[in-house]
Amino acid sequence: MSEAPVTEQEYELDTSWMSTMGEWGMRAEPGKRGLTLEDIRIGSYGELPDISDNMSGHPRGAAQRPDAYRVGGYGVRTLAEIWLDNATFLYEEALQRQWSSATDIPWETVEPLPDEVEEAECLLCTFFNEVEFVAGDVPARWIAQTTPDYLEPRHVLLAQVMDEARHMDVFRKRALANGGGLMRMSGATSGFVGSIDLARDFTEMSTRLHISGEGAVLTMFRMGELFGQNEAEKRMYRLCAQDEARHVAFGVMHLRYLNEACPERREEIHAYLDEAEAQIMAGLQNPAGTQAETSEALAILLGGSKSQYDEGHKKLLVIRRRQLKEYMQRVKTAGFGDRFENGRSTIPAQHAAAY
Amino acid sequence: MADEKSGAAAGAATVPAAVAGAAAAAGGTVVEGRPEPSFEWMGLTNQWGVRVKPGEHGLRLGDLNVGIYGEVPEVWDDQTRRPRGALPRPGIPPLPYNLRAKHQMWADCAADLYEEAIQRRWIPATDVPWATLQPLPEAVERALCQVCTEIMQYANTEIEIITYWQDQMSYGYYEVKQYLAAATFDCARHIEVLRKRALANGGGLGLESKGAVNRMILESRGGWTESVVYLYLLRGTFVMQLLRNLLSSAHNDAERVIWSHMIEDHARHLTYGYDHLKYAVTHQEGEASVLQTLLTIGEAMMGAELKDGVLRSAMAIILGGGLEGGRTVGMESYLHLVGDYLRDYLALCDWLGVPRADQLNPSLSKYLEY
Repeated sequence: MSEAPVTEQEYELDTSWMSTMGEWGMRAEPGKRGLTLEDIRIGSYGELPDISDNMSGHPRGAAQRPDAYRVGGYGVRTLAEIWLDNATFLYEEALQRQWSSATDIPWETVEPLPDEVEEAECLLCTFFNEVEFVAGDVPARWIAQTTPDYLEPRHVLLAQVMDEARHMDVFRKRALANGGGLMRMSGATSGFVGSIDLARDFTEMSTRLHISGEGAVLTMFRMGELFGQNEAEKRMYRLCAQDEARHVAFGVMHLRYLNEACPERREEIHAYLDEAEAQIMAGLQNPAGTQAETSEALAILLGGSKSQYDEGHKKLLVIRRRQLKEYMQRVKTAGFGDRFENGRSTIPAQHAAAY
Repeated sequence: MADEKSGAAAGAATVPAAVAGAAAAAGGTVVEGRPEPSFEWMGLTNQWGVRVKPGEHGLRLGDLNVGIYGEVPEVWDDQTRRPRGALPRPGIPPLPYNLRAKHQMWADCAADLYEEAIQRRWIPATDVPWATLQPLPEAVERALCQVCTEIMQYANTEIEIITYWQDQMSYGYYEVKQYLAAATFDCARHIEVLRKRALANGGGLGLESKGAVNRMILESRGGWTESVVYLYLLRGTFVMQLLRNLLSSAHNDAERVIWSHMIEDHARHLTYGYDHLKYAVTHQEGEASVLQTLLTIGEAMMGAELKDGVLRSAMAIILGGGLEGGRTVGMESYLHLVGDYLRDYLALCDWLGVPRADQLNPSLSKYLEY
């Protein structure tokens, strides 16, 4: 660093900006959970524009310069497209519950397993790697397209991208930690029409990613207690479930907001749910589904061996039932439960048939 | 086990599950009940028998680079989401992963930086001692709020340019994608903590940036390396000087915690950026001369932005402890800050093999006298 200044030379100081700042006199107070994002939604800083005209990328509430460049080009700039009422809570929770796959998983509890069980676990880890790729890549793309005026949901999505990176790394670590390796990719997450990848609308993407896709995976993670072979795996699934629950909550709460703010979009949302139920919930891209390779691996893990496949398969049916039940509950919470009563959805029939 | 079976797998024309899914969605038949298991996936692996053990810092991402799983190719042509080292499946349609060469994103330190980011995570809501904030003279509070606003906009630009490129980076270099996920999360935290600081002590947000350099960064669509040049080498090096000076003039523990954590995070971002540029310059013919061109353009933009009176005056007031001090020692300190930034910048350019001392834009070289 250069030497400390000693001069008494007087310089010109531009203070004109002092009279063109955002609203002044804010004094946000920390509560019992510290100073949260919710605590600073005060005064004009808490006001959300229904339509954002922020094309210069300035923070919400900052004073605007007439000569600022328009760099935004944001595609998502109406509140209903992305908002949810509990975004600040989900973001703060994400910060509080970050974990480290390097040091928070008791890797020393991983013990050699019979080859068939190790293979089943490694197949599942390979699949989850691919799944987490989607869940990280896709929200990242939408963040860049969303106006910073809606910083709260944007921040939740940034936390999600971080969570998914950690999930990807923990499943890769598990696959390479116990005498196994990665196996053949599933390819189930590729970009076909109607997939999470190719959604042209944020809510369309969120419905597929958060509600059906991650919802199905969340049930799986929660059942990790059943198919985890040691404490390391059980904790891995437990911690992933904790993160995944936030992502699913984002989707449910956003859909609920949209349902109330834009009832004219209900039929469109039902159409997305139709597709999602056919493609994801029906089991074709679902690790616990009826035709997936991963369901065979799960049955081995749940049974404890290949010879106990039938026993494992019975437990797999329990997981599948639970997936369907939890999915229906989420859709009802979001305000679209009528599809289960008017015969539009086949999920109730699938649920009944899964016994 | 793997060798004999993997060959068979690679040649097998297995229909991807997702293709079957699309067919079912279009009206095909879904098999219900308990299909007879085929177990055809068993034994399909490129390399089996890997047993990575945790070291004294746990089981880290870099530890996984053993056997074929550690082979990082110069070009990764696979445009699917196949994890590196996993066996491919024929027939999977490509996704638009446009960055598929190692020199376009790689930095040897990425895996370590990712793990460090996780270990050094912090929480603005509870790790900053907000109760230590005390009322400041109004001019100082206004200056601090102005600087917070400006740096928030820098962090926002960083988020937007990283997330623009992130999903275009192929999975052959997943360590970089992992690291960038951590970097954008850092930026989210920076926006959050600066907004909290600006709204917690009787102030508010300031005037937005004119955004010349932000625009330059966001318009760098020629490749991620170009973005890194502007984001980290040109702008990021300056931001580090700002943060260091803000730390040295912090008014209370809350500010000290904020600036020191931000410095720690930002240092990781710069480490990745510099390391990537070094990799790109040393592994891609002609890259050094591309960087020379980019910097010629970028320095002019940076010089124009530094001329803008808002940030320099706000920093001078903070460094001088008020308006009066801002006009003398504060502004002098700020000019030295810019001089230090440029000396760092020129040293980095030399290290990268892109010397700029003889060509430095006059709008910047004038600060070297400080």
